[in-house]
This record gives sequence, C-alpha cells and structure tokens, in this order.
Amino acid sequence: MTEQAVASTPPARRFRIGDSSFALVVSIAVLVMMILFLVIPVGSILLRSFVGATGWGLENYTETLQSGRVWELVGNSLAVAVLTTILSLALAYIYAYAIQRTHVLFKGFLRLVVMTPLFAPSLVQAQGLIFLFGRNGAFNRFLGFDFDIYGFWGIVLADVLYTFPYAFLILSAALAASDARLYEGAVVMGAKPFRIFRTITLPSTRYGIAAAGFVVFSLTITDFGNAIVIGGDFNVLATEIYNKVIGQGKFGLGAVIGVLLLAPAVISKLLERRIAKRQHALITDQSKPLTVRDNRRRDLIFGLYTYAVACVFLAVPLIVLLASLVKLWPYNLAFSLKHYSFDVQNGAQPLWNSIGVAFATAIFGVILVTVAAIVSQKFRTPLRGPISFLAILPTSIPGMVLGLGYVLAFNSTANPLNVLYGTFPLIVLLYVYYNHAQGFLIATTSLKQISATFDEASTMLGGSQLRTLFRVTLPILWPTLFGVGVFFFMRAMVSLSAVIFLITPQTQVAAVSVLQLSDRGANNQAAAFSVCIMLIVLAALLLARCVLWLAGARHVSLIR
Amino acid sequence: MKNTVLAGVLAALLPTAALAGEITVYTAYEEDEAAAFLDLAKQAMPDIEVNMLRLSTGDLAARIIAEKGNPQHDVIWGFAASTIVNPEIADTLEAYTATGVDTIPAAFRDGDNMWFAVTGYMAAFCVNTERVEKLGLDVPKSWADLVDPKYKGEVVMPNPASSGTGYIQVSSILQMKGEEEGWSFLDQLDGNIAQYIKSGSKPCNAAAAGEYAVGASFDMRAIKNIEEGFPMVMVIPAEGAGNELEANALVASSKNKDDARRFLDWTLTPEAVNAYYDWKAIVTVPGGSLPERFRSAGMPEDTNSILYPTDFQAAGKDRDRIISEWQRRYEN
Repeated sequence: MTEQAVASTPPARRFRIGDSSFALVVSIAVLVMMILFLVIPVGSILLRSFVGATGWGLENYTETLQSGRVWELVGNSLAVAVLTTILSLALAYIYAYAIQRTHVLFKGFLRLVVMTPLFAPSLVQAQGLIFLFGRNGAFNRFLGFDFDIYGFWGIVLADVLYTFPYAFLILSAALAASDARLYEGAVVMGAKPFRIFRTITLPSTRYGIAAAGFVVFSLTITDFGNAIVIGGDFNVLATEIYNKVIGQGKFGLGAVIGVLLLAPAVISKLLERRIAKRQHALITDQSKPLTVRDNRRRDLIFGLYTYAVACVFLAVPLIVLLASLVKLWPYNLAFSLKHYSFDVQNGAQPLWNSIGVAFATAIFGVILVTVAAIVSQKFRTPLRGPISFLAILPTSIPGMVLGLGYVLAFNSTANPLNVLYGTFPLIVLLYVYYNHAQGFLIATTSLKQISATFDEASTMLGGSQLRTLFRVTLPILWPTLFGVGVFFFMRAMVSLSAVIFLITPQTQVAAVSVLQLSDRGANNQAAAFSVCIMLIVLAALLLARCVLWLAGARHVSLIR
Repeated sequence: MKNTVLAGVLAALLPTAALAGEITVYTAYEEDEAAAFLDLAKQAMPDIEVNMLRLSTGDLAARIIAEKGNPQHDVIWGFAASTIVNPEIADTLEAYTATGVDTIPAAFRDGDNMWFAVTGYMAAFCVNTERVEKLGLDVPKSWADLVDPKYKGEVVMPNPASSGTGYIQVSSILQMKGEEEGWSFLDQLDGNIAQYIKSGSKPCNAAAAGEYAVGASFDMRAIKNIEEGFPMVMVIPAEGAGNELEANALVASSKNKDDARRFLDWTLTPEAVNAYYDWKAIVTVPGGSLPERFRSAGMPEDTNSILYPTDFQAAGKDRDRIISEWQRRYEN
C-alpha cells in the first residue's frame, strides 16, 4: 500500500460502517437472486408433495413411506452413492496429488483428459461405455471377453467416471495451495514422507475432501441418466422419480422423493461448520509456495497411475468418435462421414444456440458464484448461513425436478418474471443455478485457503474489506475463477435433464438434439453430434488458454 | 454466428402471446415423422406459422402438466391416448368436432370429441438375427415362445411403470388371458427377462445393437431400425399385438383457436392421411395402403388381422392398479 493511499483514507471507523452496509446490500442481492431462481422454483415443485388425490395433506408421504419399496430404493441409492464417493475421492485425490505434488510428465494433457466426461452429454458417456463394455461392446465382440455391464457395478463405474472431474477440480484446487515452510520444517525434523502426508497434506486439504465428497455423493444420488442406461433392473431413488413423474405424470409422489434427496445437503450443512473450523488458512502473508522436489521413483509410480487412469478416460470419447465415423457400429465398420450431415430438426442450429448460451452461462456463472463465495466466506452478515446453504443446495436437486420447478415458477402469469419464460436468458439462469454448487465449492475451497491475516493487515492499514478484495484476494483467486468459467461453459454445452422442459421450438440446444437422435435409434448420428459438441468445448478451452497466455499468465493452468 | 445467436435471443424475448396466424403444436410423434408431417402441414397452410415442439411421451406429459396454469400450446398432436386421458391433461382440453372426424371408427376417438386418433402403434418384437444365430436360438413368434427357458437372459422389455409401450404390452396380455392367467404368464415371462428398460423404444435399440437377442418394443421403432441396416427382423406377437392410439386435441386456453382448428381439420385431410400411410402401420382412417418397406419388414397387408382389440377404457382405468401390482411382483 502506498503512503498516499494511506494518507487519503478517511478514519477507519467510517469505513467499517460503510463496509458492513455494503456487505449487507450485496448479501441481500445474492440472497434475492437465489430465492428467485432457486428457492421459488424448487419450492413450487416440492410443494406438490403435499397435494394428493383428495387435496392438501400428507397423503403422498404416507403412501410413499409405508411401502417397503422406498426403503429398498434408499438402500440401493446409498450403496451406490457411498461406494462411488469412496472410489471417486480416492482415485481423484491420488490423481490430483500426482499433478500438484510430483513431477509427472504431460501434466497439461493429464488435466485435460480427466475432464472429458464433462465434454459430452452424460447420455453419450453412458452410450460410450456400452459401446465399450456392453454385451455386444468392443471388448466382448472383438476381444472375446464375456461380461455384462448392466446392474450395480455398471452404475458405480459410470458414476465414478461421471463424478471424477468434479472431485478432481476441487481436490486439485485444495492441493494447489500449500505453504512450503510447513513441509521444510517437517523435513528438518526428520519426518518420513507418509507421516508428512498424514500430518500436513491430508489435514490441510480437509475442507476440499469434504466438499468433494459432498459433491460426488449428491451428484451420484440424484443422477438418473447412468442408472437408467446402465443400471438394468437395479432401481434407485432418482429412477423412481423418473417412473412417477415422466412415466405416470404423478408430480406429488415424485416430489416426495425429491424431498428425501435434499437430506444429504441438510446433513452436510450441519457438518460443514465442524469441518471448516479445523481448516487452517494455507496461504498467509508469510507463505512460501511449495516447490516440488525431484524424486524419480515417486514420479514413476505416480506416472504409471495417472497414465492408466488417463487411458480409461480417453477410451470413451475415442469409441464415440469411432462410432461417428463408421457406417453402422458395430456391424459395418467401413469409414463414412454421412452421420455428420445432421437430419435432425433444426440441423446444426442448436450447436450455435448452445455456444451463445454457454458463453453467457460462463460469464454470469463466474460473477454470481464468486460474489456468493465472498459473501459467505468474508462478510460477517447474518445472511451468510442461509446463503452458503442455498449455494450448495442445487447438487441435491435432480435436474428433472429443477427443470419442472422452473416451468411451474416462470410459466405462471402471477410471476413478474414470466416474460423470461421460453427465452434463452432463463435457460442461462437455469444452467447457472443448476451448477451453482460445484462452481461455488471450487471458489470457496480456494478462498478458504487465503488467510484472514490479509484482511486484518489491510484493515489495520486503513484499507476497506472491499479494497482488500480487489487488491489481494481476487488477484490470487482469478485463475481459479477463470477455470470456474470454463466449467460453466462446459456444463451449459452438455446438460440435458433440466433444460429439456424449458426448450421451445425457437430455443433448442445441442444436448437436446443428441437426445432426439438417440431416442430414434440413430446412435451413430448422436455420436457425430456429440463429437461436434466435444470439439466446441475443446476449442473453448484452447481459446481460454490463449486468453491467459495473452494476459501474461503463462504459467497459470486453466484446470488446476 | 453471433448474429444468429442474437437473433435467437431477440426472437425468444418477444412477447409469448400467440400472434394471429401462429400456433404452437406439442407432439410426441417420432422426430423424423413429425418433421415430415410438419412440412406437409406448412405447405397446406402457408399463412399459419406452426411452431412444433417434439418430446417423448413422458417428457411431454410432464411438461404439459407443469405448464397447466398457463398453457403455451394450442394443439396436442400424435400423443398417447392412454396418457391424454390423465385428468391433469384431459382438463386442459376443449371438445372439437373436426371436419371428417366421422371417418374414424368410434373406438378410436373420444365420445365427447375431446380427442381423436388418426394413427397408432402396436407392440412388436425386435429380434437380432446375428445374436439369435450365434446363440443357436430360433426367432420367437409369440409371447408364449418367449417363456421358453432357452431365451433366459436374452429378452428385454419396457418397464410399464415408466413406459406407455410397456404398459400396453402388459395390459394386452392381461386383457387377452384374463387377470389370473395373465399374471401367472407374466410370472413365467419374468424369469426370462434380462432387464425392464425404462423407455419403450430402448428395448428395440438394445436388440438392434446386439446387446440382447429380443427386445419387446413397438412396430415403427422396429421398421426404422431395420432400415438403418441393423441385422434385425420384426415379429408381431402371434397372440395379437397390444396397441396404443396417438391422439390429437384442441387446448382450451388457445388464443388462436381458429388456426388451431384448421390444423386439426388438416390432420384428417386425404393428403395428411396419405402421409400417415407412408409412416404408420396403424391408420384409423381408410385410404392409402401399406408401403413396401413395411411389408418387407414383416407387416401383413391387413394390419387389423394382427391387432388385439384393446379395451382402451379399461386399460386407462386399471393403470394404477396394474402398475403397482406389477411393481410388487417384479421389482426389487
């Protein structure tokens, strides 16, 4: 801080008042947005759980909870979610560790390749797995294996692939921040590597692990795409919502299960404070960034692991690409480009629509998520509790429920925002709030690691909180935020289950075209359309990379 | 590119109130057939701007119910009759006696003219010939064949709790055999079923892809997969095929009923009926004939001879009871 700046600042007392009222205004604005685009839509569909055949009451709850069926579904869902969470966290932690704390080669490639499940609609991921491991998939058909992917283990495999990028993004952000002094001290005291890991690394990433665990668990328990395509007869809570709402048009009974699925968010909110209390800020005013030491043997072991994981992640997009380039997978493997002349309604136009929507989602997503993260972490207003709860709530809401909630809320003429219904802006807002939790958690994980001593020092010097924010916090944070923007872009290119209820003949998006093609059995053409989506996402990543490069941040990686 | 995006945003931002000469049609016809029919409709009524939204039956039903407070559409077109009678959807309709509706036999339209069905589809098996050959099986001819233990683990069918196609299959078996015998037959069948898939078209796609030998599905899906080139034949179950109607109806809240009615009238014109005959095996209005591609896929000229005379009323009334009994027996 320059002397002039200090001199020109008015007395600190007035600043505190200014700060707290500013904090309150921003907090209120964040909360109002969340109420409009999250609480009201979700509330209007969950309210349906109290509307039975005979009017208002608990009829739907008694009907659901009295049948033994729902408890079996709870058991199935928990089994899948717990196992997926353990596997996904463990695999992603080691992977993120390899990238942040060792010298494995081709880190840029390794970071990119585990993101591929985010590059295409989940429908295509599941279809790709069937192309590979189905009863008539490449392994069984061409390599003579004989296994059956459908069922419990199929869902777990698909869900681990689906949740891995989320876990990786959060854990990698957690592992990226570190203070070399702690490690130097430990080495000086003669601690063995595993002990250092157990006593320094693991505790310092505790919040990241908890956040990633929550995200993976919630995404798994609310996902019905994988369960429907690969689950076979293994039913879970999310497919039961599908049965009730899509199969039988019974919103009330579906809403009851939607309410049950909110439980993980509530529980994690209750646990969050305990975990957060024990999280130390990692980057303080005296921090030294960690420099990774050379260790050939360590790099070799982690290298083998990361390349093995990368192969699994590459296999799915490659088989989708292959299927898009042959006449008829898997029967006629002659090369053909015919699947790239799309004969689906509106042709390639939805791809252009999606690019516009995804750009808007990236920009609004970053702004809304960052403000929400700052409000909940740095501003001490009474609203921070509700805001941080609502910020993570969307992962507990199946896309179908949120999408139908948007229809109920915004199609109503009683809602002044009714003008948004049937427009692209509403689709953008849906995407932002549908993916809010993941973006928010990536931002807060980084934010938590920036010490409060910065704020204190800055305040003592007469700088306002706001000033600290712009001068200190955001400059440290911005590469992470850029990554969050890219994440929103990818999600908006591929999310399907929520948006299906909001599209109109004029506002069709790319993921819906993939669904239309897949519905009518044109799997090869659906694969070709997905390849186009994947290329757009890759191009966007490349573009973002160039922007970083031009901005002078050459050593900052987009995906941490 | 930017301009198209911008234009799209602007177009979407315009007031949603229906303009004169503009109607919105919700349809569950398969994507390619809907596009073909829509082209004809636009040629016949160049002064009407027809906006069409196509979703699968279940997704569309959920959307119509969610939009019930302020419906966005003027016409429902080609939508499962067993779902259109769901009170939450039926309540949004208005009676209309379309010109020429009396050419449709009474069984295929609502007594109060709330809806009429010009087309329909029937249950059909999709049999993967490559897989059947590899496993040394025969191509099954009937539901009764499918209970033979040799098909164990090689048959997939839609889950009636989530698929209308699945429901007509189960309901037609119960109607033709009577409930007691019907359920005991379904018990036997259950032993051979590898998966109850949650959509009506996916079992056929799974059989086409060679994941299973037999997928119980519906006729048009089978015919189109054969045309795609998959090694597959279609089998209409010998006992008679359960079937479903695709209904058209006028939405009571439409702000442009004149054009909506004109559109509904058009769905009964000879020109539209001719197009139906190109795409559909069940057309309830006389005229036209079965296209060659249907016959070569195994559809007999007189489709009435293979249809089970479904009691649609009973099928609709018993739906909840049959689904919960089915779930009690065969799920988890």
